[in-house]
Amino acid sequence: MNQSVVQLRGITKTYHIGREITVDALRGVDLDVNAAEFLAIMGPSGSGKSTLMNILGCLDVADAGTYVLAGENVGKLSDDKLAAIRNKHVGFVFQTFNLLSRLNAIENVELPLIYGGDRHQRRERALGALEQVGLGDRVHHRPSELSGGQQQRVAIARALLNDPSMILADEPTGNLDSRSSAEILSVFQRLNETGKTVVMVTHEPDVAAHCKRIVRMRDGIVARDELVPHPRRAEDEIAAGIGAAE
Amino acid sequence: MKLYDSFRSALQSLVVNKLRSALTMLGVIIGVAAVIAMVSVGNGASASVQATILNLGSNLVTVQPQFGNDQGLKGAGAQAQNLTLDDMRSIQNQLGGSITAAEAEQQTGRWQVTAAGQNWNTQVTGVTEDYPTVRDWKLDSGEFFTTSDLNVNAQVAILGTTTAQNLFGDADAVGQTIQLRQLFGGGRDQRARILNFRVVGVLTTKGSTFGFSRDDQIVVPLTTAQHVLTGRLNVVNAIVIKATSSDTMDATTSDVQNILLQRHNISDPASADFTVTNQNDTLAALSSVTGTFTLLLGAIGGISLLVGGIGIMNIMLVSVNERTREIGIRKAVGARRGDILTQFLIEAMALTGLGGVLGILLGWAITEVVHRIPQAANLPLLITSGTVIIAVGVSVAIGVVFGLYPALRAARLHPIQALRYE
Repeated sequence: MNQSVVQLRGITKTYHIGREITVDALRGVDLDVNAAEFLAIMGPSGSGKSTLMNILGCLDVADAGTYVLAGENVGKLSDDKLAAIRNKHVGFVFQTFNLLSRLNAIENVELPLIYGGDRHQRRERALGALEQVGLGDRVHHRPSELSGGQQQRVAIARALLNDPSMILADEPTGNLDSRSSAEILSVFQRLNETGKTVVMVTHEPDVAAHCKRIVRMRDGIVARDELVPHPRRAEDEIAAGIGAAE
Repeated sequence: MKLYDSFRSALQSLVVNKLRSALTMLGVIIGVAAVIAMVSVGNGASASVQATILNLGSNLVTVQPQFGNDQGLKGAGAQAQNLTLDDMRSIQNQLGGSITAAEAEQQTGRWQVTAAGQNWNTQVTGVTEDYPTVRDWKLDSGEFFTTSDLNVNAQVAILGTTTAQNLFGDADAVGQTIQLRQLFGGGRDQRARILNFRVVGVLTTKGSTFGFSRDDQIVVPLTTAQHVLTGRLNVVNAIVIKATSSDTMDATTSDVQNILLQRHNISDPASADFTVTNQNDTLAALSSVTGTFTLLLGAIGGISLLVGGIGIMNIMLVSVNERTREIGIRKAVGARRGDILTQFLIEAMALTGLGGVLGILLGWAITEVVHRIPQAANLPLLITSGTVIIAVGVSVAIGVVFGLYPALRAARLHPIQALRYE
């Protein structure tokens, strides 16, 4: 039942800034994420949470340690192999949405399938994903014609498209008002209820309180790892007219 | 990533930046148009020169007299006089069926001609009976003179159309009489010799060669020219042989050379008292000149194409910079290096390929305009399929060459840095 999605062991990462300054961003991180978890990674800036996020998303490679993602050791793969892993196993949601402004909603959602997957199902699957995030009626809108919350939902639909092992969200509510934030969190909670694994990086305790588990980073290591006894339900807050971050 | 998607996203980004795409393409359009127009003018000039040469008759081997080495007077303005009508006859006899025809000519200079009260000054040439065959020149009316006319030094004449027009207007010249006058003596003692010739034919219109009208002349039997007009007996200025085809010209050239060396008792070809010119050689020499000319014009066009290519590179670099974030997003969702490379390469190639096609159209329009300039009206402008294929090929290749560096830069971007790019 508790199938492991992510298994990090002794992950370190050092950055060299200029010739003399080195920054130990990660100093031996061990972390396990099981299927259908909803996990928040928290920590002050400089704690290494962004670096951890990049490594989790296979955008970057650790200096040392092992990383097994969905049963595959992805520690030392080539750039192109990592791209294939990202395409298949990771769905990204960014703080700044990162949609392509000249494509409409459905074309943005289709993007992962351009780089892997069957062309003939593309339209249907993209449409399905958009409906799943409640944007079935905004299919042909450009990002500039959508609100921030809607744009983020398009980004979530894009992240869902290849049915990834994990959705990786980096401050997904950072650019949104409280109502839109609550909507996005409710989308994540619904997805999580259907069995999706969601890992979310945030520095807002109110947002993290919607997750089932919170991992706190400090100085490049996992400082605390705790379960949330009663996660807040975003849907209830929307119904009560309260924003998530209030 | 499928090629179809690469094309789609390339075209999309070109359409989004319409003005920029158009301006970038303009460089290629002008370059390709310049190549097309320049080369077609060059090819046209070359074809025009070729046509002019062939207008003198095709597959011709020409023999002209020259001072032999032992005579020590090389190149001294005086006219060598060592070719005869008999040389021509023996070429005719010995080569027989292996050549089409042969004729001999003597220039007699310019004469004052009068007829029906009109006065005209023109060139008179003595030729032999096969002149029309050798020169591919038919008669408009009347009949060409025959060997029997040559045998009796008959005073018969064939007129060029311009000459006939000037002497007789629209009236039929055949059967009329013309008078050739030559003045000699000077001052008070000046006297004129008047010779009557009967017009037996009028040549068809031939146009001009290198600016000289070939329709303003009179041809008379060679023997008549020698005995009656000039007194230079048995001397000819040229023997012209028409080979059966372009392929047999080399063989005919050496046959003619051998016959004449033997007849003139010369053992060393280097000291021959005549020169044999092959029309193929003339054509080759001229086409190498026009070829160089065309190459030069093409190079000028090529330079503008190169400048257009650099413009493409510039814009592609700007575009890669501008779209760093897009590249980051594409990489995050699984684009490989090759996918990004293909996308930007196809974009550059689409720019240059489309520019190439438009450039061909513009180049074609330019040649059409050039064609309407009166001075160039009879210059055939040739846009060959080869030129078009090369122009499009080169412009697409320019897209690859100048698009490669920006595309590589895009492909090598690190996804994290690309995503963070503002």
